[in-house]
Parts: sequence; C-alpha cells; structure tokens
Amino acid sequence: MSDTVMNPPAGSMSRGNRSDAIFIAGVIVVGAIAMAQPWLGVSSYFLTLIYYVAYYLALGQAWNLMSGLTGYVSFSHGALAGIGAYAVVLSLNGNLPMALALVVAAIATVAASLIIGATALRLRGTAFTFATLFFQELVLLLVRKLPFTGGSSGLILYQIIPVWIAYVMMVTVAVAATIAFALTRRSRLGIRMLAIKSDESAAAAIGIDSTRLKIILFCASAGIAGLVGAVHGIFVATLYPEVIFSVDLSIVALAVALIGGVGSAAGPIAGAIVYVGLREIVQVVAPGAHLVIIGLLLLGIILFLRDGIVPAVGRLVSRKGSRSSTSGRQS
Amino acid sequence: MTILRAKGLSKRFTGVVAVKDMDVSVGDGELLGLFGPNGAGKTTLFNLIAGTFFANTGQIDFMGHDVTRMPAFRRARLGIGRTFQVVRPFRALTVMENLLAAVPSMAAGKRNDADLAWELLGKIDLQCRARDSAGDLTLGMLKRLEVARALMLSPRLLLLDEPLAGLTGKESADLLLFLQTLRGQTSVIMVEHNVRLALPICDRAVVMDAGAVIADGAPDQIRRSPAVIRAYLGEDQE
Repeated sequence: MSDTVMNPPAGSMSRGNRSDAIFIAGVIVVGAIAMAQPWLGVSSYFLTLIYYVAYYLALGQAWNLMSGLTGYVSFSHGALAGIGAYAVVLSLNGNLPMALALVVAAIATVAASLIIGATALRLRGTAFTFATLFFQELVLLLVRKLPFTGGSSGLILYQIIPVWIAYVMMVTVAVAATIAFALTRRSRLGIRMLAIKSDESAAAAIGIDSTRLKIILFCASAGIAGLVGAVHGIFVATLYPEVIFSVDLSIVALAVALIGGVGSAAGPIAGAIVYVGLREIVQVVAPGAHLVIIGLLLLGIILFLRDGIVPAVGRLVSRKGSRSSTSGRQS
Repeated sequence: MTILRAKGLSKRFTGVVAVKDMDVSVGDGELLGLFGPNGAGKTTLFNLIAGTFFANTGQIDFMGHDVTRMPAFRRARLGIGRTFQVVRPFRALTVMENLLAAVPSMAAGKRNDADLAWELLGKIDLQCRARDSAGDLTLGMLKRLEVARALMLSPRLLLLDEPLAGLTGKESADLLLFLQTLRGQTSVIMVEHNVRLALPICDRAVVMDAGAVIADGAPDQIRRSPAVIRAYLGEDQE
C-alpha cells in the first residue's frame, strides 16, 4: 500500500461546495422573483398556484429532511403542520403578535414530535412509520375532543390578515427549508444521517448515536412542518379538523419528495411543481380523483424512474455528456 | 498494560451457546490473532466486544471502563473500532464521506478530519476514488475502506473480522503490510481463516473451538498445539 500522501483534493472538494452555492443562489433568486409577484399585477389564480407550490415544497422539504436523510418514513407531517396551524390561530386569537405566534406554533410542533420521536425512534425498522400513522389519528381525535380547539366545528382566525402576508411568508419558509436541506445534506450531520440510512449498525460502529441524531432531525423537520402549517393556517383562516388533520397532507408531503427525488434538495422543488400542475389539470379533467392520479404517478416513477425526476434527469444529462465527449474525441 | 479484559463471557442464541465462559485480554499495542474453525464463536466474541450484542454473563473492561452493557456507539467513542466479516460500506456516500462520517474517539485529540481522511485514503491507495460512490468499489477496495473508516476513530483497539477474505494474494500481502504499520499505535484483534498468512504477523494468538478457548500463546506455540491441530484436522480415528 502506498506511503506517499498527496495533498487533499482542494479543487474537487470545492466543486461540491460551488454547485451548492450556485443552487442556493438560484433558489434565493427564484424565491425573490416569486415574492415580488403580488406587486407585479399577476392574477390571483397564478398567485394561488405559486402559493401552493411553495406550501407543498416547504412541507416536502420538511419530510425530506427527516425521511430522505434517514430512511425512516413519516406519515405524520400533515398532522404536525395541523398542530402548527391550530397553535398559530389560537395564539393570534389570544392577541399574541404574529412573530410570537409563529414561534409558539414551531415550539408546539417540536414538542408534539418529541412524543413520537423519543419513543419510536429508539426502535429500528417500521415501528416509527406505524407510530406516525397512529399519531396522525390520535391528534385528530384529540382536536375533536379538546374544548379549546373548537371540536368538530373547528376554529376561525378572528384577525383579518392580508393574503399577501401569508403568501410572502410561505415563499420565505419554502426558500429557507430548501436552503436548510441543502446545507444539512452537505454537513457532517447530513453525512452521518445518510450513514444511518445506509446501515445503522455500521454507523454505530463508528460512534454515531443514531437515536439522538434521528430525534434531533425529526424535531427540526417537525419545526419546519409546524411553521408551514402555521402560515397555511393564517392563509386559510378557517380550520376544520377533518381537513387540517387529513392523512392526505401527509401523503402529499411524502409524494412531493418521492416524485422529485428523495434525499436531494432539488427533488421536492420538481415534485411540488409537478404535483400542483397535475392537480390543476386533474381537477378539471377528473375532479376528486387527484390522489388516485398521484398514486398512479408514484407507481410509474417507482417503476420507471427509480428514485425520482431529478436524479433521473441528472443521469440522463451525465450520459449525454459522456456520449458527446466520446464522439468529440472520435471526430 | 492490558487495555481490554473480558472475563467469563457467555452468549446464547435460543439454545445454541455461541461463546461460553470465555476469558480474553489484549495488551496495549498488541496484535492478537483470533483463529478457529467455522462456528467457533469468533465473530460472536467480536460482536460482544464491539457492543453489537450484549453478553448473557461475564464482564468486559476496556481501558478501565466497564463496557459490558454499553451501546456500540459509546464503545466506538471510547476507542473500539471494527470492520465486518461481510463488508458494510455506506453505499449512498462517497469514499471520502465514508471516512468523514466517523465520530472521533476520546483518544483522537485535536485534528483536521478531512486531512486525516485524505492521508488514510493515501495509505490504502484509494485517493483516486475519493469522490466515487462507495457502492462502485471492488471487494478488495471495500475491505481497505472499512479498515480506514475504523481508523478514523483513532481507535485504541481495532477489531478486524476476516480482513483478508475475498482478497487476491497481492491485496492480502499489501493489507497485512499496512496492518503491521499500526503496530504500537493501536491494539488489534484479527479474526482470520487464512492462518498461514495471518499468524506470522501476530504477537499472540488465541484459538477458539465450540465457543471456548482451546489455545492461547505465541504463534510458534499455537502451530505445535495438539488441541489446535485436533480442532482443525479432527480427531485421529486410528
């Protein structure tokens, strides 16, 4: 084996950092353009579309942060967002300032996530997934029964908050969640989470405390989901438990990441655009069947694209690149 | 100085006794060979020392700490590194990231992880594959990568589970040469089926059969031990 030690690959290491910096700069620019739309005379329909892309993107990134990096599939992100929505409406109705209400929403969601995380994440395998499904139903049951949540009739936000505020906040959360994911993926924490996803026993053998890291990441992911739900609560202003805590939203959070590409920062962006676009088309062509169509789309992606749109496009581009460089050399 | 001392270790798996009432110790900087036929309990002993399984009875002391009920990640942080019989790389990560994932042990001190990882990749001839996915490496490369990954802990004790299995003659010779460079820096316990190649580099060897120690001594003593010859070649039926 070689005794010679060359210098660390400074250029190659910074190549990853450079592409991350370009990606982050791109996300900020696109986010800024999206944020400016309400003042550019764009129709309210188009604004609503952008809002929902940002909403599903932010929720998809929250899901991606936990499940994309660890491989532990969560079905609770819809419920976590719902807790955020209820917490913010209750706080605002209690006359708390907006910023404080958002903080309360994030804290409430993180606290709720600890109930699942501190118990189910000590176990390996599917226990966590089942616990999240159970949690989703438990939260719905509690919200229907608790006196301060308005029971089955739900809650109304008494303050009138301009829609553009919710719009700008949602785009901000989506941009921040995407950047947070991109930075986490490259960080030592992200590397260790992917090690856990690859092989939890081998990760323990190199000193990784998988339980602690999974709980930390799930809490962070829940905090983002809580903020997303809080902003959406302000946007819709009327919360019906059956809608807010419907398992559909948890499935959409998962679907957005799966469609675009699990474990990549760009994946949920593509997933959210495809999902919202498709939903708009399906609502005209086959109203009420959008989840069926999404299910079929997921099946198609698993069968033909394996790991989502973004990685598939990446493979296609690199194959084309290598083919054109080969033909260039031959000519 | 003894850095690892296991006393009276036993491990049962639903009726099968894999390790029974076993004592083993390793000195500081010692390279200990652990040999024995298939099913002798060598890998189970490794898993008990590394914390993958907990022993049913007995006690393990490592550098003055009772680690008997300590989880694997805590033992790694104390300085017990290991490789696996069947390689277990993090296939979703690059070769470099496989090394950077390690959490330095208490013995590591202040260091630059990226520099150390790069230096280790140089020593195992994998610098040119640093950015490649670990899933794209050959078995020989993966074996070397696992050793380097364990060394990223700066371990005081390195457990190598059949490091030569599946390697070519040249790869085996290179790896053994590399392992000898660790002598004095870290203690090593090496499980290996290729006794002919591995025994000469060991300071001491322990031979197991049916979950128990049947010989413990210098390589020359082990070669001549009647109990070892019987375990490997079977009882003389004449």
